[in-house]
Amino acid sequence: MLKTKMKRPGIAINTKRCMACYACFMACKDEHCGWDTPLSKAQPELGQYWMNIVEWERGDNERRIKTASVPTPCAHCADPACVKAAKNGGAYKRPDGIVIIDPEKAVGQKEIADACPIHAVYWNAELNLPQKCTLCAELLDDPDYPGFEPRCVEACPNQALVFGDLDDPESNVSKLIAANKVTPLEGLPEKPGNVVHLNIPGAFLAGTVAYPQELEEVCIGAKVTVTCEETGESRSMETNWAGDYEFEDLPKGMTWTVDIAYDGFKPVRYTGERTDRDHYVGITYLEKA
Amino acid sequence: MAERINPVSDNSKQRIAHGVCVAGPMTVHTQDGVIRRVRPIVLTDDDTPGWVIKARGKEYTPQRKFTMSLLGYCEKDRTYAYDRLKYPMIREDFVETPDGKNRNTENRGKSGYRRASWDEALSLVTREIKRLHKTYGRETITACTSSHHSWGLVGYKISLFNRFFSMMGYTRIADNPDSWEGFHWGTPHTFGYYWRLGGPEPYDMLEMAMQNADTIICWSSDPDTSRGGYSAQESALWRWWMKEMGIQFIYVDPFNNYTSVKHADKWIGPRMGTDAAILESIAYVWLTEDTYDHEYIRQHGHRFREFADHILGRGPDGTPKTPKWAEELSKVPAMDIKAIARRWAQTPTTVGSGMRGGFGGACRHSNGTEYARLLVLLSAMQGMGKPGRAFWGPGCGAPMNYNFWFGGYSDPLASIAKAPVADDVPMNPVEQVLYRPNLPDAILDGHYEWYGEGFCGGGIDLEFTRHVYPAPGYNKVHCFWRYGGSFFGTMLDTNKWAAMYKSPELEFVINQDIFFTPETRYADVILPACSNLERTDIGEVGSSGLGGYCSHSESGNSWQMIVYQDKCIEPLWDSRSDFWIFSQVAARLGWGERFTEGRDEEAWAKRFWQFSDLPKVMSWEDFKKKGYYVIPVSFKEEDKDPETGLYRNWDRRPGFNWFAENRACDTMNHKVFQEEHLLGTFSGKFEFVSESLTYWAPDDEARRPIPQYQDSWEGHKSLTADKFPYGLISPHPRFDYHTHYNQHAKWLWEVPKNRVLINGNPYLVCHINKHVADQKGIKDGDVVRLFNDRGSVLCVARVTYRLWPETIHAYTSSGIYNPIRYGERDSWDKGGSINLLTPGRLIGDYVPAMAPYSCNIDVEKAEPDPNFGQGWEHILDEVDKQQLETQRPIRTSADADLVFGEQETLILNLLAQRQAQEVL
Repeated sequence: MLKTKMKRPGIAINTKRCMACYACFMACKDEHCGWDTPLSKAQPELGQYWMNIVEWERGDNERRIKTASVPTPCAHCADPACVKAAKNGGAYKRPDGIVIIDPEKAVGQKEIADACPIHAVYWNAELNLPQKCTLCAELLDDPDYPGFEPRCVEACPNQALVFGDLDDPESNVSKLIAANKVTPLEGLPEKPGNVVHLNIPGAFLAGTVAYPQELEEVCIGAKVTVTCEETGESRSMETNWAGDYEFEDLPKGMTWTVDIAYDGFKPVRYTGERTDRDHYVGITYLEKA
Repeated sequence: MAERINPVSDNSKQRIAHGVCVAGPMTVHTQDGVIRRVRPIVLTDDDTPGWVIKARGKEYTPQRKFTMSLLGYCEKDRTYAYDRLKYPMIREDFVETPDGKNRNTENRGKSGYRRASWDEALSLVTREIKRLHKTYGRETITACTSSHHSWGLVGYKISLFNRFFSMMGYTRIADNPDSWEGFHWGTPHTFGYYWRLGGPEPYDMLEMAMQNADTIICWSSDPDTSRGGYSAQESALWRWWMKEMGIQFIYVDPFNNYTSVKHADKWIGPRMGTDAAILESIAYVWLTEDTYDHEYIRQHGHRFREFADHILGRGPDGTPKTPKWAEELSKVPAMDIKAIARRWAQTPTTVGSGMRGGFGGACRHSNGTEYARLLVLLSAMQGMGKPGRAFWGPGCGAPMNYNFWFGGYSDPLASIAKAPVADDVPMNPVEQVLYRPNLPDAILDGHYEWYGEGFCGGGIDLEFTRHVYPAPGYNKVHCFWRYGGSFFGTMLDTNKWAAMYKSPELEFVINQDIFFTPETRYADVILPACSNLERTDIGEVGSSGLGGYCSHSESGNSWQMIVYQDKCIEPLWDSRSDFWIFSQVAARLGWGERFTEGRDEEAWAKRFWQFSDLPKVMSWEDFKKKGYYVIPVSFKEEDKDPETGLYRNWDRRPGFNWFAENRACDTMNHKVFQEEHLLGTFSGKFEFVSESLTYWAPDDEARRPIPQYQDSWEGHKSLTADKFPYGLISPHPRFDYHTHYNQHAKWLWEVPKNRVLINGNPYLVCHINKHVADQKGIKDGDVVRLFNDRGSVLCVARVTYRLWPETIHAYTSSGIYNPIRYGERDSWDKGGSINLLTPGRLIGDYVPAMAPYSCNIDVEKAEPDPNFGQGWEHILDEVDKQQLETQRPIRTSADADLVFGEQETLILNLLAQRQAQEVL
């Protein structure tokens, strides 16, 4: 579809596929540093991240560590806090949903930057101006620009960023959203704007089951069940070829009971395992029944 | 500071050109002669359809764009970098004495520079060359280049540089195969393939693995980071495909690396240099549980029984190589080793080391050759070459067209120094040679001896040729012409390099580069070259060439792409292309016509087009106009899928499959004896006991006939371990390429896992285990000192569980070397030049390979006074000085950024605070 014909151009961010390669981050700087456009003043060479990557390490033990990376541009909210905070049209939401800070009218309005719940609006002290991601609207609007996607999307090697018409159910972006779990950023409402985050992970509970320690053998096929002590939610799996189990994407901040069972061995139970953060329960050495 | 005035972007006024860098091919938009933006090349409908791989009920085809890595998107920042060399310069206190003595060489590295005209600089260079030739002979000049500080067949080192110096005559400096030492010096003794420097055949292995493998082991491998070498992020999507289809990924690396934390189903982090022990114990599990491929070994193994006896404890050392034995050395639990051993035996499993399979940090260790040989032998024990059972790294091996010829960067046929591209082919008359890792030793001691040719792709015997410097009948070297990049970040024990430069033995030092790198600072004359985007060239992305040692490395791309590297902008300031500089010197020496053959750079670029298959499909004018050509994976219509138009067939030649299936060898770049089903070893088989080592080097202490674990000369059991208890892991960097980006492209300093700005200094990040950090009172974001007897480097700590407590991680090849006192051995470095710490010692007497993974260090919290000594500012001082002297006529988008003024300092400080607030 032609970029100009989209009713609601937007980006889905499949965080599961993001490998924090920073191509989007650099493409954004390449586009916006050093050059003014009708929709934005130049991004300063250092200090602003219109396409920021929020990263954290997942896990509390060397035996099971992952990382999460969540590309975090302006969310182009359905009901933007920055637009509410702005005076004289300093920030506005276009009919296609893209939120723009007017580089002339927004001068002096630090409130616009302060209002953003995900800190995606930056304050440029030199220009006395709030600044942020434009979704490259100035390029998408321009028939002279030969590309079809915002610069960050074009740069993504993993299809973690997908661009298209959110109002067209047949578009790739709509299909991707339909097939995945929508996970709004903390501080943002359930109803997404033109940027939709997918699959931001909850917490994992992981561990390893082994035969009695002196045997030095992992136990394959042990049945492991986790049960939430607050909600009663329960999940089961068998340990894999490495003797490992991992319950991925559990709700955060809960308390869990972990039950481990294997024929011929005493059952093992751990209680009070928390998912405040991703957690490795430990190596469980079974004992003969 | 002047008010910042930014140009306004106007797409209607922009010109589009194309280029290539180590980060991939790029589309460059310029406006009014200034680079506006750098985009990836997005394919159009005119370009060829892609291939489609059918695997496990689904179809996979690549995206229609070439996925450049982050470094490519910094190209604008790098081109207009604050540290560009703008004018020819001469060291302030350089004295052109007639005898070459008393030239204040001890001040190299400290002294400032004065601006010179091109005429003055080139006249000085020419006068000195003539004096040196007259006094000592042609051998007295030596020259060296780093790899890929620019891209293109005209400008690359084996081409332009080679042409100039071969014509003039010089003492060549042999490169060591620094990225794949253990494979180069090891695996040819195990399965041949010396012509691939010990690496595997990558051909069509992606499809093979997607259809057949259930397990992929990435040993000492971080494919998202090493990017297939020069293949950008092309293979990243393939690994997601494989992950999502359920293939199990096992990562073995002391650092839970960037691909591992995203993909690994199992990660194990052995203690540094104990990989060989783990491999031996895996063999032990297979032997005792009888889960190896008997028939394959019976047919293709040589002296397997003796190897088995060694593993089972029936050999001379009497030690069974049990998983428990390996656990004591590596600290990897025996139960995990057994689980991996069984998974490897029970499921079709591929294993590879480093970016293209035969690379990886583990092979850059004193035990690296033995690790590499064992990896190959274990792959053979599971039937290497059978479907899904391969020696392969998942960063290469995409479908490609083997039948289309275009030269690659290390191709003997693709050089302006060689026929057919050149009419006049120069031969270097000097036979004397130096060896790069030990250049400082040779200069400082005046004598050096070693075995081996550097790259020994011509045959195993080349490993055992003896070299002496100075060679009989030759004079010593008294002049060093350094070309492109900085070795302070990449060579080992780099304080030695500073000492070399200060020696009066080097009467004259020339540095020809684009940037003011740490090494540039040691020159007497600086010749400013322009960047890749300011001159014309031609090149294929990621291709080392058919004759190259990693032949068909472009199979690391989803697309084979040949690019006309257009001159996007005019050379900035007073910089000139390397071709212009060499032509000028050649002309002043009296052989200018002979050097250029009357061609300019575009005319030379056209010669590569002419002597390739490209004219069959595209005229020179069309190629220049379009800017690139994508080679179809097949030229046959019937190979296309009638519905989708994608290529479902091509000339498939799966790597090593011919061997396992006893077919005649059908893969590219093979040797005649392979057609008789023999490998390139003495016996023609997998040598579990190496006949070539037994014959040539029976007394080799580093490589035994049976490959085996040995304690490192610097490791957890060596004498220094008490004083420096942590092993340093310094892999090839994720956020740089060699030393070519980090000093120049300041945007990279904002990647939190790369560098952290504190008081304006971009400190390198190191990773420290949480338990060690707690013991030492180190918090995430603290400045720490990594140190041993060889040096001290200040880094910013990232506290993590991504490595075990024995190891500290910091990336090698820092572009920045920023000692508090320049060129002094005991001075702390604020730039992150980690190779100040690594040992200069080579792996062994017969193995002239570097071993940065054999390195013990300690760590402590450091609070350096940000104002003391000479800091980052030394570079900026020089840049400032140039600023004052210039009435610059050209307008660039980066005008406002050439000097770090108050605003920048403020931003740097804000940034530092912001990053300091981040907690783990």
